[in-house]
Amino acid sequence: MSQVVGRPIPRVEDLRLLTGRGRYVADLRLGGMQQVAFVRSPYPHARIRSIRAPDGRVYRAADLQDVRPIAPRWEGEGFLPTAQPPLAEGVVRYVGEPVAVVVAPTRYAAEDLAEQVRVDYEPLPPVPDVDAALSPGAPRLHSDNVLYRRSHVHGDPDGVFRRAEVVVRTVIRSSRCTAAPLEGRGVVAWHDGSTLWVWTNTQTPSLIRSALALSLGLPECAVRVVVPDTGGGFGQKMHLYPEEIVVSWLALRLGVPVQWVEDRRENLTASAQAREERVEVELAAGTDGRLLGLRARIVGDVGAYHVYPTTAALEPLGVAQILPGPYDIPHYAYEVLAVATNKPPTGAYRGVGMTVGVLAMERAVDLLATRLRLDPVEVRRRNLVSEGRFPYTSASGLVYDGGSFREALEQVCALADYEHLRKEQEEARRRGKLLGIGLACYVEYTGLGSTTFRRRGMTEVPGHEGACVRVEPDGTVRVHVSFSHQGQGHETTLAQLVADMLHQPVERIRVERVDTAASPHGSGTFASRSSVAGAGAVLAAAGRVRERAQAIAAALLEAAPEDVVWEEGRLFVRGAPHRSVTFEAVAAAAYRILPGGSVSPGLEAVAYFDPPPATFSNAAHLAVVEVDARTGSVRILGYFVAEDCGRIINPLIVRGQLYGGIAQGIGEALLEHAAYDDHGQPLATTFMDYLIPTVWEMPEDVRVVHLQHPSDRPGGFKGMAEGGAIAAPAAVANAVADAVRAPVTRLPITPELVLELVCRGSRDGVDRTADPA
Amino acid sequence: MTTRLRTIRLTVNGSTHEITVETRKTLADALREDLGLTGTHLGCEHGVCGACTVLLDGRPVRSCLLFAAQAEGHEVTTVEALGTPDRLHPIQQAFWEHHGLQCGFCTPGILMSTVWFLQHHPHPTRDEIREMLAGHLCRCTGYLQIVEAIEAAARSVGRKGP
Amino acid sequence: MKPPVFDYYDPETLDEALDLMDRYGPEAKVLAGGQSLVPLLNLRLARPAALVDLNRIPGMDGIHLEDGWIRIGAMARQWDAEHAPEVARHLPILAEALRFVGHPQIRMRGTVGGSIAHADPAAELPALLLCLEGEVVARRRDGMRVIPAKELFVTYLTTSLEPDEILTEVRWPIPPPGTGWAFVELARRHGDYALVGVAVLVRLNADGSVAEARIAFTGCGPVPVRAEEAERALRGARPSGQLWEEAAQVAACSLEPPSDLHASGAARKHLAAVLTARALMKAAERANPGGKR
Repeated sequence: MSQVVGRPIPRVEDLRLLTGRGRYVADLRLGGMQQVAFVRSPYPHARIRSIRAPDGRVYRAADLQDVRPIAPRWEGEGFLPTAQPPLAEGVVRYVGEPVAVVVAPTRYAAEDLAEQVRVDYEPLPPVPDVDAALSPGAPRLHSDNVLYRRSHVHGDPDGVFRRAEVVVRTVIRSSRCTAAPLEGRGVVAWHDGSTLWVWTNTQTPSLIRSALALSLGLPECAVRVVVPDTGGGFGQKMHLYPEEIVVSWLALRLGVPVQWVEDRRENLTASAQAREERVEVELAAGTDGRLLGLRARIVGDVGAYHVYPTTAALEPLGVAQILPGPYDIPHYAYEVLAVATNKPPTGAYRGVGMTVGVLAMERAVDLLATRLRLDPVEVRRRNLVSEGRFPYTSASGLVYDGGSFREALEQVCALADYEHLRKEQEEARRRGKLLGIGLACYVEYTGLGSTTFRRRGMTEVPGHEGACVRVEPDGTVRVHVSFSHQGQGHETTLAQLVADMLHQPVERIRVERVDTAASPHGSGTFASRSSVAGAGAVLAAAGRVRERAQAIAAALLEAAPEDVVWEEGRLFVRGAPHRSVTFEAVAAAAYRILPGGSVSPGLEAVAYFDPPPATFSNAAHLAVVEVDARTGSVRILGYFVAEDCGRIINPLIVRGQLYGGIAQGIGEALLEHAAYDDHGQPLATTFMDYLIPTVWEMPEDVRVVHLQHPSDRPGGFKGMAEGGAIAAPAAVANAVADAVRAPVTRLPITPELVLELVCRGSRDGVDRTADPA
Repeated sequence: MTTRLRTIRLTVNGSTHEITVETRKTLADALREDLGLTGTHLGCEHGVCGACTVLLDGRPVRSCLLFAAQAEGHEVTTVEALGTPDRLHPIQQAFWEHHGLQCGFCTPGILMSTVWFLQHHPHPTRDEIREMLAGHLCRCTGYLQIVEAIEAAARSVGRKGP
Repeated sequence: MKPPVFDYYDPETLDEALDLMDRYGPEAKVLAGGQSLVPLLNLRLARPAALVDLNRIPGMDGIHLEDGWIRIGAMARQWDAEHAPEVARHLPILAEALRFVGHPQIRMRGTVGGSIAHADPAAELPALLLCLEGEVVARRRDGMRVIPAKELFVTYLTTSLEPDEILTEVRWPIPPPGTGWAFVELARRHGDYALVGVAVLVRLNADGSVAEARIAFTGCGPVPVRAEEAERALRGARPSGQLWEEAAQVAACSLEPPSDLHASGAARKHLAAVLTARALMKAAERANPGGKR
């Protein structure tokens, strides 16, 4: 019996994507469709005194009185709700915030019309960063500027720190980034007389459908969200945006289809941004390098409003919870603050919370190694949770269901030939060349279930996924799922799962785009949940179809269901292979020729799956860099990964996800900065200034070894795909620090920063491990 | 001939079409909207990302930086000319086999650059491939499998001819 | 990001184009390759009343050698200049500089004249023109003039071209035989505008000492800049690693580079010194003492 799961089969969706037949939201055409453009605030903080509109279709907040704002809920202490009206009402809080909307026959004309809208602003003092937001007398963006705070203590960290032989402290600053998918956000909306259709390239179709219904005061069954082909999401497209609400409202108001497609300037300045945290980390350790305690203060610059559904708490809380990582640390205290500023809201971006948590922790571990003059590999080895300790509860309360932390470290060192690299590094240094080796070991939460979202307080995210598997009368199979794809290859990977369950060729399994009228309810595609939560639902539904098919076959073959066995394309009676039926015959029987009342019609099943709280993947990354001490350029010479993401559905796709994540991580480490000046004005408004990596920024080769330790989840899968983005910034930062022998405490590592570090590193013998930077 | 609105004849993928467009309308928008050829995508509209790349008289150019009126009298080639799901062009076939795309948004532009590239570099080195590919931004793939796909395409185009 | 309305003209003769420039003056912009102008239009940072497209005018894209100069028609595509045999043989520094301009896809459409006329402070060709002491031909409806490079670049994105003038030719003098050359640039990513770029020529006497050196920077101010003090200091000196480093320091000291998101002025100054030393070394290696081939 051939199995398709685990094989590197080329993707089904590629045939249309390669030939220009993908249908992205900008490609949709409906008769009479109008184009939409937004008038956006040029000020980070201002009162709106008046809006004077020329003749034409121009709408403002006053027109959307009955439309409810974006106000995600959170259960638990420390949360200050915010409400973002879809068009700014009275005050604007970030450059790019939508203030008015215009409609015209073409986007060209819409932009012309938008320019004629005269908004009279009274600028208010901006709050451009966290320090400004927290200073006494700061302008208040809401009733307070702290949108979320949380503290946690496990064990007696203060006691441990008082007694510790070694304390290492560092402050890590991650820069503000943005996901920058090649395709921006977009919406087409149309009310056909009874249903509001909304085509949107969202990662969370069920949630958006419900949120739009609530916002617009419609029953959910009257709102239909359809997800077209999507050009990348990376978390940015999982949120509900003001534009989605406004465009949907316009469809209701105007009675014609309306289309809005975000341009690059809007994407870089008005879509949710990411990261920008200041993490103070302290490690208490023994002189043998054993970690005893961890303390952290995490302050996130979360922009002007909470994002829906995950809120501003998502990113900084994620950092706090993942910070102990794969290390056995018994005592931990953290404090988290999410602080509002006059910037666009901070949302999800590949590696949410984990990227910065791993960056902070891995930098601290390397500093500890430097302080104790131990090899960074050895320090890690001494502290990684060993394989025998699972399930392991971390000091932040996360329960690691399984892991191969030590094995991953050993494997990546073997893959990279670590000993040889260190020798090469020494030789190079003698010749005046600076090579650096950087490690990042991490554990990653994936496939989160409802328990986790409830425990966090994130009430807007359900946690389950759903799948419907329906066999058509001709035996082909149609699969509807609750989660959309943005390039991950679900049309293939999910088909592979069903193909194996029903012993059908992949070509006869079709995974449909998400349409809330046909797809079951679920949470969406984010936080690496598709191969756990999504696959769980698909396997459950396919499993039920398989049982029913077996029962139908049994009726046709006049045998007991348990005596029916499967083989590719046919079912037969055990021990009597001549007594067989094809799968097509079973399907036909289900819908056309029913064997005399013994089997009821239909061959489909719907299943929901709420995964366990979390399923953990882990990996160890190793980066080798060359630093030009005179120009500050950093080149990535080699990159090695030992990854355990459980059982792999499609190795080609897994490899691609890893490379893509690594590219984003390299971008974050060296290039990307959604910078704002002291007046709250964005500085990176085009691709000339927001620098995402090209092929040259990638190493020529990334060597990977997979440790496929199956999870306990259906199929043995774990989530993956964020790994590269989680670990690469830390691996590269550590490598640069290793090369220049000076601490790296902020991103991006620009040539200028490298030159500064090279200057400091050349001042030999100065221990900077206690530097607050 | 007016200065703001023109009727132009565009030759795209071997066929000539007469369309009436504003003179400020970019070639990318004219292809997508007036000719319904939505395979050419807009990723930035300032010439950096390369998603809108088409061939103009056989050479790769950013169609977001050309006005439709400028393309009159020239040959435009878009991704739709390469192949169909039933008959992939060898370059498309190579991308398919080597997972040279994920979301597919940047892909048509890269395919068009590759068509030109392999005509002029039938036996490319990795560095030559990367030099050409550096004119394209991809956020999904991390590029490595794209390079592999282009190497494979070079071998296969070399065998079969462009 | 769609451009605002403009009146579009694509004349088929240069005279028609010049008439239009005369008529519209500063309200018209010339459209050459469009790789710099059209992004500005799409971003609505430029709002000309009229666009005069030169692409249909024949005869403006020639590349030929004449009397010791490489004369390149303003509309010659950067790619074609980069690969022209005359350039390879007589002016390889131009090909080297062009390889830093964007990416092949940009150079297929971008023009030599357009890049010069656009005068981006971090562009490669203006600095190279200044280094080589080239000149441009500017035509207006009722005349023409030749503008040497040192009189051409006025400030950010501004040349001394009058509103009714069109740049029609860029002339590059071929350095004496045996002159060494180098164009070196540092950018955040390959193909980006320069953080700092430098064009260098080094000509050696028969005894190996420096006969003449030229150093021109891009990315270090509103216009490309020659490091005249450093150039003087090099004259007559004996080549050595130390000489190049010292000259590079002198050159960098004379600069007042801007600070922006990508690098501070101080960092640019430092990078200018590093790149200049490397460029001088490279140029010297390529030089043949006494002009022997």
